Amino acid sequence: MVSIQDFSGYAPTWCPGCGNWGIGMAIKSALVQIGLPPAQVAVVFGIGCSGNMNDFLNVSAVHTLHGRAIPTAVGIKLANHRRPVLVVAGDGDCYGEGGNHLIHACRGNHDLAVIVHDNGVYGLTTGQVAPTASKGTRSKSTPAGIIETPINPLTLALTQGASFIAQAFAGDMAQTIAVIKRAMSHRGLALVNILQPCVTFNKINTYQYYRERVYRLADNDDKTDWDKAMSVIKTMDKERFPVGVIYEVERLSYHRQLPQLSGALPLWQRRRFTDFKPLEKEFR
Amino acid sequence: MRFTWKIGGEAGFGIMTTGLLLSKIASRCGYQVFDYIEYPSLIRGGHNAYEVAAGDDPISCLHDQIDILVCLNSETFNLHQARLADDALVVFDPEQFKPLLKNHWQGVAVPMGKMVSEGRGQPVMRNTVALGASIALMGGEMALVETILRDQFNKKGEAVIQFNIGFARQGYQHVKDHASGYGRSYLAAPQSAAQLVLSGNEAFALGAVVGDCRCYVAYPMTPASSVLTVLAAWQAQTGMVVRHAEDELAAINTAIGAGFAGARSAVGTSGGGFALMVETISLAGVSETPVVIFLAQRPGPATGMPTWTEQGDLLFAVHAGHGEFPKIVLAPGDVAEMVQLTAQAFNLADIYQLPVIVMSEMYLSESHATLSQTELDRIISDYQVKRGKTITKVDGSSYQRYKISPDGISERLIPGTADFYFQANSYEHKEDGHTSEAAADRVAQVDKRMRKLTTYLSQDYQLPTLYGDWQKAKTVLVGWGGIKGILLEVMRRLPDVAVMHFHHLYPLAADRLKPLLTQDKRYVLIENNATGQFGKLLLQEAGLAVGEKILRYDGRPLTVGEIMKKLSQSV
Repeated sequence: MVSIQDFSGYAPTWCPGCGNWGIGMAIKSALVQIGLPPAQVAVVFGIGCSGNMNDFLNVSAVHTLHGRAIPTAVGIKLANHRRPVLVVAGDGDCYGEGGNHLIHACRGNHDLAVIVHDNGVYGLTTGQVAPTASKGTRSKSTPAGIIETPINPLTLALTQGASFIAQAFAGDMAQTIAVIKRAMSHRGLALVNILQPCVTFNKINTYQYYRERVYRLADNDDKTDWDKAMSVIKTMDKERFPVGVIYEVERLSYHRQLPQLSGALPLWQRRRFTDFKPLEKEFR
Repeated sequence: MRFTWKIGGEAGFGIMTTGLLLSKIASRCGYQVFDYIEYPSLIRGGHNAYEVAAGDDPISCLHDQIDILVCLNSETFNLHQARLADDALVVFDPEQFKPLLKNHWQGVAVPMGKMVSEGRGQPVMRNTVALGASIALMGGEMALVETILRDQFNKKGEAVIQFNIGFARQGYQHVKDHASGYGRSYLAAPQSAAQLVLSGNEAFALGAVVGDCRCYVAYPMTPASSVLTVLAAWQAQTGMVVRHAEDELAAINTAIGAGFAGARSAVGTSGGGFALMVETISLAGVSETPVVIFLAQRPGPATGMPTWTEQGDLLFAVHAGHGEFPKIVLAPGDVAEMVQLTAQAFNLADIYQLPVIVMSEMYLSESHATLSQTELDRIISDYQVKRGKTITKVDGSSYQRYKISPDGISERLIPGTADFYFQANSYEHKEDGHTSEAAADRVAQVDKRMRKLTTYLSQDYQLPTLYGDWQKAKTVLVGWGGIKGILLEVMRRLPDVAVMHFHHLYPLAADRLKPLLTQDKRYVLIENNATGQFGKLLLQEAGLAVGEKILRYDGRPLTVGEIMKKLSQSV
């Protein structure tokens, strides 16, 4: 039996009231409920306030570079496909610096649970806009208001082939835990966008703001209808935020389409290949 | 006996395939072979050429002169006639053009286009006719051509094989009927020789398999791309996971992830892609994650000259990555060294838990050379997988990933194999992997990481290889990487010349190099770049200056002739 304590590392350094506290606890709770010991869970952290969870969560981890958590996680999964691999990243990290990787991870349907902290700002660099910030948001880097319209990570993932898309609200612990567990049990790329108030740098998207605007999706709805998923996501254009699983379909994940990973042992553990002669033949 | 055969024509007309077949035929007849391709960064149009130098004594580069030039168009003759031997044979299609023959050149008219169109073949099959004609001119049996075409088109079925053999036979017979008087006897008495013909890139691919690489991730970039395609073609047999990633950033980070999880991993690219990987090389340094990076150089800056050669990225590779951390840079000199050092690179990456860069240049990457089966067998049987302090069990009740140790190396637990969790951290950290900004932790970890280089220098570093009669030599040619074969040929032709060839480029053992580079000899640095980068590195790392330099940076490889000329001029 594992407990919350087993997964608890250093005391978090997040600002009091930060949505990261809720997300951190939800991830630990989900891992406890899944029941694997800390060493058996691989988590790749990006760089940012979200990535700082690396020191607060006891797991087999890589604290990688800004934007590169997804490709690192892809590598871990290829080398050891029998263990769950999570990505913990921020909106600037995953939708800005590393946006290309998200697109291609969706295409490849890599078997990863990608948990993105979406607070609309860059917290660790003290409050510049993130790609998810609403048009016109004023920040230190956009004093006249951001010109770009926000990226919608959910439509992006849906259109690029993600097989699981969910959203959660950091202020709703029970549902966030449920969504993360379901993302981890999904066999393929699972994107979980977590709406997360930044109490220090984002004075608009507060707990109060989200509480008034989130609405729960029923767990037992049909989640396989692409058009319906798109219409659910589009309610965000009117500041109505669906939380729960939005879309889930079965599609073979990347590693399950690799014949070389069909054996009993993971890639790293197999015996060395030594039958060189057939390869040499083509050079004669 | 030595000879050079060269074929040229428009890009997209199969010259690369025919050239390689000729290299293989020469190899099958017992010759040592070195070949070189010239091509523009285009798929169609532009001039392609393929040159094969063969000989029954050591062949390590091209020869000065061309003995047989096969011209699929007039441009080939115009571009290459300056290097024709006095008694060269010029094969041409009389319907295309008539070469203006000088000296004792002998024209051999072969109506390649007519034969192909009458036989309802595709224009690309003029090459097959040319191959048959060439083998006849070299005094070889038609069976040599038939066998190699059978091997080449094996997967395409008997009809395709026979169709191609038909055209080759027409070219062969035409020469026998009309030009037998000019024939050479190059292939008349074939010797059996167990040897392979492979490019530097193929040697890297083979070395990676020997080195137990299990995950190769890349984004295509000339001249490194064929590593990706060769390993991809082999993956059903080898079980390696070979992934064409969305970009070079993904490629190297995926390799880092797989390396963290315990699988030996590598990436391959050229300068531009390598530039994108640099931030992650720094991550590999601080997180102490093994990774092998193949860097096949081409002339930069930026997109540069994609299909030509240069040694312009040495200092970039040595200094790649922000911050201070250890890395190892190797540069094989030929295909044998490429197999051996590539396999060794995977051991070094595991033992020292750092990035290892294996450098090549287009000249080595895309040229083919013979490698004796005996030597390859020896390289393979001598190789043992050594993973250093990689562990799957922990002694005791605690585990510290970055534990301070006298040799700088800490035990690296493969995650999930014991009940201990840890993080590979891109932030500076404590011994247990947790992030730390404490001055004492910082200094202890920097010192620990840098100590790995001291350990490497005492355990695994290799001094440059010396060729020739070192005692007698008055002149020493100092070079690195794939130009080795050119330097060796200069040495064979000049008296009192030795070659000092560097393959372990960084770090350098200053104390042991000093006695080699401070004798009463004339030292000449030879590099395929504009600024003498290895000379700068020698000065920086070992305080040793090499005064004379011969440099070339027009995208072409150095030639034996120009080096000999410059050596004689500057005395």
